[in-house]
Amino acid sequence: MAATEIYRYLRVGDRDIPLDPEGYLVHLEDWSPEVAQALATEEGRELTQDHWDVIRVLRDFYTRFEAAPSMRPLVKAVGQALGPEKGKSLHLMKLFPDSPAKVGARLAGLPKPANCL
Amino acid sequence: MILHILNRSPSASRIFQQALDAMGPDDRLLLIEDAVQGALPQLVRYFEPVIGRLFALREDLVSRGLEGRCDDRVLVVDVDGFVTLTEEADKTVSWF
Amino acid sequence: MTRQDMSAIPNGDLLVILRHGPHGSSWLREGLDAALVAAAFGQRVSLLFLGDGVMALLGGQQVGPLGQKGTQPMLEMLGMYDIETLLVDRGALVERGIGVSDLSVTVSLVESEDIANVLAHHRQILNF
Repeated sequence: MAATEIYRYLRVGDRDIPLDPEGYLVHLEDWSPEVAQALATEEGRELTQDHWDVIRVLRDFYTRFEAAPSMRPLVKAVGQALGPEKGKSLHLMKLFPDSPAKVGARLAGLPKPANCL
Repeated sequence: MILHILNRSPSASRIFQQALDAMGPDDRLLLIEDAVQGALPQLVRYFEPVIGRLFALREDLVSRGLEGRCDDRVLVVDVDGFVTLTEEADKTVSWF
Repeated sequence: MTRQDMSAIPNGDLLVILRHGPHGSSWLREGLDAALVAAAFGQRVSLLFLGDGVMALLGGQQVGPLGQKGTQPMLEMLGMYDIETLLVDRGALVERGIGVSDLSVTVSLVESEDIANVLAHHRQILNF
């Protein structure tokens, strides 16, 4: 479920994008690559092509299944879309340290994955 | 052995049939709440296939004034007996 | 699945029994959620569709009149969680005039007399 509670705003260009207490978008339709970039910058993350590839996989997943994936299906989806070399949890842990499913979902403008620690 | 627990009256709901379909030859069935009506001699026929493995919870019979009206073949247990049945089972499945 | 190859029933950690169709209540969605959570934590999960639960599998479902999410995307997502064992009570399909070709996902049919076997093959059971 998308959170509805506005906790703070993220300035992107000339717009203020509402975020929930955990930094997820309150309105999923607010997402754009610029928003992803701003979220990443705020967290001190640099986005490479590998990151953008995974963000695209995440957004495709949400379009197909109307849910953000937890780690296991994320690994599977990345493997299917980008090849077995990238469909590994190690690869995702390097790209999005801490929790790839949660950080990835946040940057990709998805709700917080439900089935995930 | 699986302990199956049913809480719907057999005269009001066909859920009991799902429970019976899912029961293996050693499985037991415990009637609780509204399902204890199934212990009456007039309704126990629905549970014919599991006679001998059919239990009813005393507390739910008492509260409905049905204790003493049960079919002789229904095994009446109190809450302690319920706990024992649960302990003797590999797992329990509730049908509601 | 025929009686002869019931030995082919996979053992699993968790069997989730689904007995409600989409939209009328939240039971189906909650059951699928439980299955996904268990699978996300590495449990081997099987689903068993009994009674009205088979309605969950019909193709062509839509969002509800008030915009309620359907369950079809969740069903399609099961494979991503490696939930591949979808067992369906053949009698429940026949009773409703539903053929396997009407279903939106690939399933294995189970005869009524083999349902008990399916339950026995799983360590834990959740009934929805």
